[in-house]
Amino acid sequence: MIQGLVKLFLFQAVGEVVSKFLLPFIPGPVIGLVLLLGFLVVRQQIPSDIDLVGSSILAHLGLLFVPASVGVVLFLPQLRAHAAGLAATLTLSVIATIGVTSLFLKAVGSNPSGDQDVR
Amino acid sequence: MSGDALPIAEIWVYLSGSPLAALVLTLGAYWLGLTIYERSARNPLANPVLIAVMLVAIMINLLDMPYAKYFEGAQFVHFLLGTATVSLAIPIFKGWGSLRGRLFGLTGALAAGGIASVVTALGLGRLFGLDQMLIGGLYAKSVTAPIAMGIAERIGVSPTLTAIFAVSTGILGAVLGRYVLDLLKIKAWWQRGFALGVASHGIGTSRAFSVHPQAGTYASLGMGLHGIVGAVLIPYAFDRFLR
Repeated sequence: MIQGLVKLFLFQAVGEVVSKFLLPFIPGPVIGLVLLLGFLVVRQQIPSDIDLVGSSILAHLGLLFVPASVGVVLFLPQLRAHAAGLAATLTLSVIATIGVTSLFLKAVGSNPSGDQDVR
Repeated sequence: MSGDALPIAEIWVYLSGSPLAALVLTLGAYWLGLTIYERSARNPLANPVLIAVMLVAIMINLLDMPYAKYFEGAQFVHFLLGTATVSLAIPIFKGWGSLRGRLFGLTGALAAGGIASVVTALGLGRLFGLDQMLIGGLYAKSVTAPIAMGIAERIGVSPTLTAIFAVSTGILGAVLGRYVLDLLKIKAWWQRGFALGVASHGIGTSRAFSVHPQAGTYASLGMGLHGIVGAVLIPYAFDRFLR
């Protein structure tokens, strides 16, 4: 388990360094993600130690954004003042995003055998 | 016994000075949130993050603990966000095989969906008179929260608002997705899943997995690709067009 964690930290650290010195507009962990993805694609499999630790962290991904989200207490007056507009914006925007993405796929996407449809 | 000698207040002062109080609060609230979520048969409206955030917010208010003080302890949880972002390579790799033969369709759909997300959010936000700070939080709202917060830091908008809007978007997509997709007569599971992943990231993805495994695989691919592409293009577009 420790090995997996060390490997993930290493990819994260290399990502941070690359972000700092070469690609400052991309967050370091995202560069770490791409490097790990490249590593997995080359290896053609996921080392079990990385899978174990990574998958356990992802299983509780939600927990990790609680501390930052609690910062919402600092914005309560603004959020309250704009509650209706925000709710409408978020709702309509997510509907548009789902609609545009799926309609694009329907328009260009092939549907070969092996795929399943609703009902 | 000297019961009155037990200085509860002093114990509290001691505990709240260590990271322990914030950590117990955070983990305990999330645990409770998860329990409620499981009991509700995984209803997306009973989102464990949302429940945990509300509980912690209420608790630190009652305990009179300033947010900065809370974060001092909770930052040990927050730190793992970066590691979690790196770990997202795992689900993307698992869906990697599904990319073959569909690369054009999927990347095109991702681009269309990503642009739709940002443009509609900014347009509607202005239309409804939101202030600049709130609008800033909307840029990365369809990107998975850990990456969205990284993007927010890069473009100088509030990571907190971004996280809140990302979680809300995830919930809204998970709840409304099936109605939108049914209305548009999208029948193929892979198309339904991918759209859910692009629009409502992790929360939409877990919804997709609970409906159909193929929808789930494509949803995690959509979420992962949107994360990577968004991290590159959102700061770029922000720099080019908005400064």
